[in-house]
Amino acid sequence: MSRFNKHYFNILFFSVSVILLTACGGNSLEGKLIISEAPPSGVQADYITGEGWRCLPESRLAAIDPQNPSAAPEILTKDFYSAAMPDLSYDGERILFAARKEKDDPWQIWEMNLRNLKSRQVTKTNENCIDPAYMPGDRLVFSRSVLNDSLKAGYSLFTSNIDGSDVKRITFNPHTYFASTLIKDGRVLTISRQVYPSVTEAVVMVLRPDGTKAELFFDTGNKNTLISSCHECDNGKIYFIGRQSDTGKGTIMSVDYNRPLNSMKSVSGTDKDFLSVAKLSDNSIAVSCRTDNGGRYELFGFDTNTGVTGSKIYGSADYDVTDIVYVAPYIRPRKLPSEVDMGVKTGLILCQNINVTGMTSPEAGFSLPLADRIEIMGVDSSLGMVKVENDGSVYLKVAADIPFRIRTLDAKGSVVNGPGGWYYLRPNERRGCIGCHEDREMVPANRYAVAVSKNPVAVPVHYEGIKEKEVELE
Amino acid sequence: MRKLIVSVGVIAVLLVLVFIPGKKWAREHVNYKTAVNDHSLNCLNCHLYNSKSPLISKMVNRDYLSPMNIAVSEDGKKLFVTAQDADKLFVIDAAERKILGKIDVGRKPHSVILDNTGSNAYVTNQWSDNVSVIDLAEMKVVDTLSTGNGPAGLSFSSDGKVLYVVNSYSSDLTVIDLASGIEITRLNTGNNPTGIQLSPNGKDLYVTARRAVITPYGEPVTTDLTLVDDQSRRLKSFLPVESAYLMENIAFTPSGDLALVTLIRPKNLLPTLQVEKGWMMNHGFGVIEQKGDGRIIQLLTDEPQAFYPDPFDIVITGDGKRAFISSSGVNMITVIDIDSVRNLIAESTPEMLSLWANHLGISSRYVVKRIPTGANPKGLALSPDGKYLYVAEHLNDMIGVISTETMERTGEIELGSSSRVTVLRRGRQLLNNAGRTFQTQYSCYTCHPDEHEDGLMYNMASKDMGRNITNTQSLREIGDTPPFKWSGKNQTVYKQDGMRFSTVLTRTEQFPYNDLDAISSYIMRGNHYPPNLQFNPDGVLTEAQERGKIIFERTRDNNGNEIPENNRCITCHPAPYYTNLKFADVNTLTASDDSILFDTPHLNNIFSSPPYLHDGRAKTLEEIWTLYGKTDKHGMVNDMTKGQLNDLVEYLKSLRSPDYESGNSKIQKASFNKE
Repeated sequence: MSRFNKHYFNILFFSVSVILLTACGGNSLEGKLIISEAPPSGVQADYITGEGWRCLPESRLAAIDPQNPSAAPEILTKDFYSAAMPDLSYDGERILFAARKEKDDPWQIWEMNLRNLKSRQVTKTNENCIDPAYMPGDRLVFSRSVLNDSLKAGYSLFTSNIDGSDVKRITFNPHTYFASTLIKDGRVLTISRQVYPSVTEAVVMVLRPDGTKAELFFDTGNKNTLISSCHECDNGKIYFIGRQSDTGKGTIMSVDYNRPLNSMKSVSGTDKDFLSVAKLSDNSIAVSCRTDNGGRYELFGFDTNTGVTGSKIYGSADYDVTDIVYVAPYIRPRKLPSEVDMGVKTGLILCQNINVTGMTSPEAGFSLPLADRIEIMGVDSSLGMVKVENDGSVYLKVAADIPFRIRTLDAKGSVVNGPGGWYYLRPNERRGCIGCHEDREMVPANRYAVAVSKNPVAVPVHYEGIKEKEVELE
Repeated sequence: MRKLIVSVGVIAVLLVLVFIPGKKWAREHVNYKTAVNDHSLNCLNCHLYNSKSPLISKMVNRDYLSPMNIAVSEDGKKLFVTAQDADKLFVIDAAERKILGKIDVGRKPHSVILDNTGSNAYVTNQWSDNVSVIDLAEMKVVDTLSTGNGPAGLSFSSDGKVLYVVNSYSSDLTVIDLASGIEITRLNTGNNPTGIQLSPNGKDLYVTARRAVITPYGEPVTTDLTLVDDQSRRLKSFLPVESAYLMENIAFTPSGDLALVTLIRPKNLLPTLQVEKGWMMNHGFGVIEQKGDGRIIQLLTDEPQAFYPDPFDIVITGDGKRAFISSSGVNMITVIDIDSVRNLIAESTPEMLSLWANHLGISSRYVVKRIPTGANPKGLALSPDGKYLYVAEHLNDMIGVISTETMERTGEIELGSSSRVTVLRRGRQLLNNAGRTFQTQYSCYTCHPDEHEDGLMYNMASKDMGRNITNTQSLREIGDTPPFKWSGKNQTVYKQDGMRFSTVLTRTEQFPYNDLDAISSYIMRGNHYPPNLQFNPDGVLTEAQERGKIIFERTRDNNGNEIPENNRCITCHPAPYYTNLKFADVNTLTASDDSILFDTPHLNNIFSSPPYLHDGRAKTLEEIWTLYGKTDKHGMVNDMTKGQLNDLVEYLKSLRSPDYESGNSKIQKASFNKE
């Protein structure tokens, strides 16, 4: 080779090498499992504040190679006092997680590049921000502590851009929200618990990313307490862990996406105590579980078809595996459009027939007295009474982003039904309900509601002179 | 050399000078057309696929077949498939899954049945207004039987002497004496009928209907099944099916105790607040008991978080255990366990049955399986031994083969069309599929069946509830009639189906731009009006229509006074689209309307789009003026005699596709010639 050619060969070799190295961009963690693990804290789980449940001291993130279980875990968050609650981006290249940099720091959201393992802080507040989840459109949803706010909430849900900008609160009721995930239809699944005026059992709520159309997705009844986030798999099932009240053990449970309110099943036996779950492949999930009360929660595979726990992937004598993420690209959920218009100060709600209620049944006959009016109840005071139309319909224009409940009254002012759960309407949100405590699988009858032949009643009823943006006719 | 460099430099400068402002202009143009600022700058997406040039259209498009309905020979060896876009009947060897022959029939063949000897097939030609009689031994058409307008479903009488043909456009039933081939009577049916089925006892025929009885907005939606007595060949009664429409097809159990009819339960009387919890459209079937007073019970095939729109055909297995419904909007076959339906009905009080009609969870009692198919499953047929279900995959150009034992699609029969999916074909698939609606609750087809409209009014409550009621508009040949919507708010189809469409209607992620381009192209160029064979079959107007045309074009009233130009019919409704594409106030605003002007609607094939006016208040064309035109703001009409108004209406009914006006009228010809 001539000297000239050799010179050009070296340049070519160097260029190709640079291109290849640049393309690789570091080690990929694809195919590995990222776990959060925490030493047993002995702190009783508090499902209102998240302490001892979502927020565990000295937790850390680690990468596990399921093909090489004997290899030592790669610790990803050595620079953090505590790190947990990982969520994977759709391209499988990044994770969001919640962490405390120093012991006295509040929990904040961070994002890590899985190729170079560098992290950057996403949220910068003095309040705890936990349970992040990626949303389409380079945004995320997370829980942020709003304890002591006027709505009497615990943790509310917020969204922001992935760089932490444009923070928006999306829940406005006296509930506390944890462990949100996105489902394929683009909505947020989240564990929600009413905290005012009384604390109730946790349920799974579903809502659009702008906070609209929040509604019950399913509840686990009195016998199980939700202790993990929910994970939707390709078989149409949503898996989660419910802690049984009688045995105190966690059980893998599932609901069908198509019919979540009436399809809950226990997937695992009662011999093990499960703590967390994550999608692994089509018919298998990864779980953390232990076989005895004093043991540590370790990482296993689990076949959802057979209900059999696979062999152990990873375990530690000092740590419990608390969260799991399988690193692989996955199809991003739908990016839902938003009807929220912050220039509008109210939302509209139509109740088709306030007298329709699941508290009576066709078998029992529709025996409750008919409602004459409804009372709209705020957190601290009544927001007003509204007369019910003859067909039972009510049409309200409610100040946006305030919580309210509704109860029905007869002509003498005695309570007929309710109050139900907390509602709130986002600015410009429109929503409907069929009745009061109605069967949640019912659809409305195709019937014109008398109430919409008139202007909506403003709520609070003394709330006049709202300077409202004129909404354009479609 | 220097000259060359200078020349190249000048050219480069010129190119830059053209390119930069050209690109800027193109960006502004695309932004205007799409109402977004990030749609790709690809000129071909619109200017190639939306071209009206026959040459370009031929280059970029392909001929497809679009199988619609299927019949199976008594021995199960042959399948007969109507190919709607090929104007042919395909004959297929079921075992070998090979095409044995293709027989030319009329335009848009809809349904096919075989006589009891298996020697003849009868095919309805929906755009030719006739039935092709085919000798199956010779594999050729041997006779043509005239029908009413838009023949669709068909059935023999129990004695085999009479052929009943459902006329979907003229909403009646042709009764043909097979010996003479002559129509012996015509019976009224429900609105826009399609399916027909003879009861196993041979006494009654049920005819389905798609469009509801026209009523003022706010009154219940009701669609009529038609009951015909086979012996007397006479109408027995109309059976109103409440809160339902788009009843496409019907099937009996072999024992004859039940008839099952596909249906949709619209929510048009509710404001369009949300898709969640089934607030827009529900889909299911009706169960017509053949005992007692013939109760009609309605059950949904939807589930609480998943919907199965646009049920089209229904068949029942020979043992009466299973019903298969083609859920055409989600490419699925829904399998019903009929005994479970019977048990549910038996254990339910009337109040409970009425509850189940609006209950999404109850389907878990009787829906036993969802079987995926190719695009847009329509007609179904079972093999005589019950082992196979054949599915006309309408927009897949295949016959899907499903094992009724495993309830899986085990194969397909290729009909031999182009494997390439063109932009228009893709657009048609999108229009007929609910995949881009939240939880697949409805497709474009649901409110625009056959790219037309569903005859219902809706309260599109993007603003206030209970206000601005609008009548659904047809999508046929609207490419050159911008702006769109009654409010004329959308300057293009691209805007119409873009971001706001997803925000206020489909409530899920908007179409990716390549899909938006495809569906827009299909809406603009891919669908056509059926020929107006009922009122203007050959372009020669009747005397009354000629008189009406003169009135339509008149410039002076009956008193000889000049009609102001802006108050003449022809001013706002000029050919070829019978719209001047401008906004107008014709004094039809009501107290519940916002104060807006309306986009002047086009009038092609207007006879097929009742009710009329923006809020559908006029049940007929006559009512536009007799009830709602008293101020002479919607044209000068009050000087006219009743006869003149009748003539005007007759003329309006004669209006046809704009293709006539442009001289490109070949699609309007009833192309079938008797061989």
